[in-house]
Amino acid sequence: MIKLNDRKASIQPIKSKLKISILDDQEIQQINENTRVVLAEIGIEFPSDKALKIFADVGADVNFEKQLVKIPADLLDKYLATSPRQYTMAGLRPELDVPVGSGEGTYFYCSGEAPKIVDFETGERRLSVKKDIENHARIADYLPIVSLLWPSVSASDKGATSPIHGLEACYNSTEKHVESESVMDEISARYAVEMAVAIAGSKENLRERPVLSQLLCCIAPLAQDKGGIEAAMVFAENNIPVGFMSMPTLGLTAPPYPAGALTLAMAETLSGIMLTQIINPGVGNYISINPGIIDPRTGVYFMGSSIAQVTNVAGIQLSHSNGVPVLACHSFGGSQYELGNWQAGYENLYSHFLGVMAGADMSFGPSGMYEAVSVLDHPRILFDREILKGIDEITDGMEVDAKTLSFDMIKKVGHHNAYIAQKESVKAYRTMMRQDSILYEDGSAEGRKWRDPVVVARETASWILENHKPETLPSDVKAEIRQIVTTADQDEELAKAVRGH
Amino acid sequence: MSTELYDKLAQSVIEGEPDDAEEIAKQALAEGLDPLTCINEGLTKGIQRVGELFASGEYFLPELIIGAEAMKRALAVLEPAMVGDQSREVVGTVVLGTVEGDMHEIGKTLVGTMLVANGFKVVDLGVDLSADKFISAVKENKADIVGASALLTTTMLQQKKIIEALEAEGLGDQVKVMVGGAPVTESFAAEIGADGYAEDAISAVDLAFRLIDAPA
Repeated sequence: MIKLNDRKASIQPIKSKLKISILDDQEIQQINENTRVVLAEIGIEFPSDKALKIFADVGADVNFEKQLVKIPADLLDKYLATSPRQYTMAGLRPELDVPVGSGEGTYFYCSGEAPKIVDFETGERRLSVKKDIENHARIADYLPIVSLLWPSVSASDKGATSPIHGLEACYNSTEKHVESESVMDEISARYAVEMAVAIAGSKENLRERPVLSQLLCCIAPLAQDKGGIEAAMVFAENNIPVGFMSMPTLGLTAPPYPAGALTLAMAETLSGIMLTQIINPGVGNYISINPGIIDPRTGVYFMGSSIAQVTNVAGIQLSHSNGVPVLACHSFGGSQYELGNWQAGYENLYSHFLGVMAGADMSFGPSGMYEAVSVLDHPRILFDREILKGIDEITDGMEVDAKTLSFDMIKKVGHHNAYIAQKESVKAYRTMMRQDSILYEDGSAEGRKWRDPVVVARETASWILENHKPETLPSDVKAEIRQIVTTADQDEELAKAVRGH
Repeated sequence: MSTELYDKLAQSVIEGEPDDAEEIAKQALAEGLDPLTCINEGLTKGIQRVGELFASGEYFLPELIIGAEAMKRALAVLEPAMVGDQSREVVGTVVLGTVEGDMHEIGKTLVGTMLVANGFKVVDLGVDLSADKFISAVKENKADIVGASALLTTTMLQQKKIIEALEAEGLGDQVKVMVGGAPVTESFAAEIGADGYAEDAISAVDLAFRLIDAPA
């Protein structure tokens, strides 16, 4: 294992000099128009009386009995106009703030929430528990490539308040921005906001520096989740950014063609964004489109197909054309693969290449997941990191200027000679061959003996868990959060809400 | 003439044409054909062929599902027309649903379709179902198997409640319980006293055959 240093958390986006686009302007316009026709003529199901009333009050065509909202295009665009293209997702320190939509590059999530984990000690698969969230958050906190965190797994030992415990576990283990994607009812959302207020110091501070955000997954096709949308309304009221994710599964929950699937995805996400903008104009939003297909023989959900990757990139273009930042969503746990195998490598490489080159504001990234984000394996996050380092280097492209054109050097070296002894070669090698791979090790200290990256990754994860102790929250804030979680645990109404009754 | 219609019924299932299946079923009844014979000689043969094509790898899942849909549409015409004590021969009856507090539908629906395509009668109750709703459906349909799906760690314990409710109603010996869903594991299924766990739709069919001790 290379020598790792004790260090404070930092974040590092990847900015690509290389650009890619899947759709041309006319195609973008066609899909945007189709989306607006779908919203106006077919509508979206919002199974929440509160949400329906809000839509009705601003003039949308609401059928309360069918819980259906039809949105004229001009009304949609009026409210989309207040959704900011740039805003901040705050960390515990300003240096860890993520400037969403700033053009600084793509910021990466350590996401989740898997229900299972490969036990780090025994190697056996088991249901995940709260302690696993803390451990993985500390590993993610150590890695600069991770800028934002979800609770990586479910705290299955905590029952109905698992999402609240997940947030507590993160805030106790990382200084980076924390997002929830499992707080899916109004009551839990209020506890989550209470925690965020405690961390920010006041409601006003929280509005300025939201240390929490939410991702809400729509229900394809063309529906929202009751609990989720009511939680989103609570978050929006408190100026906590709300992202909307659509997961169109081509040929299953969406048309088999990417253009049709993207139409659905945009209709679902834009309708949710409109609701939050009615509630609180200017609250941060983002769109995340996570296309998939099913294995045509087993029905198993499959993220890592080429067609889904292309659809994902097109979704980035569509979201930006609507003035909304994007969380690109792919792989890093997408398909059915095991730690370190070749499929994991190629899927992760090309999917994130595309996302970064298409200019995604954020992206799911080094998470340590596999099997369609259903299993976490701590060391895998280090493989994910390694792939992103490669993407970072390649998307830098190349510089062409007087120095790099090298005319003087070419003239000086002339014919039949070598460039290796040139000063410029010495300097350039230092930058071209970066020495920051954690997993590649031919180990000069061990007599240049190659070591299996899987072994190195395990040792690295062990080192981080043993040595990296982030200074997160002051003890009084931790105590306040503990009290909020304890109260939530005893809240019978919350338990009923989580059970759907 | 009747043989031709039976073949057409079978073909509508094999080719995945629900509209045609419904129309041919209506035509068969209008021509006075016996509905049960239409099912046995037409639809059942068609779905068996679909199953063979799927098993051999020639058909993909969408073809299997649309074939099952065609069969379902024709059955909706033919079954109400059956007379006396006529009843369709099925491998077994499965009551299927997603547990209380859980809105995930797709996996459960795929399991249902696969079971239909393999000759089971499936009573798909939907999502967010209390244990009581499973019990009522088991009694009403004299089910052989209950299939309970849960996709969340916060809802998977509802599967245990269904098993407990079946025991409390004295149905524990009569009906087998199979469970599935992303957080569910073989060991969890054993722990809560389920009769079986299936990882995906295909293994759910194999499991269902094993549970009722029928050849797959």
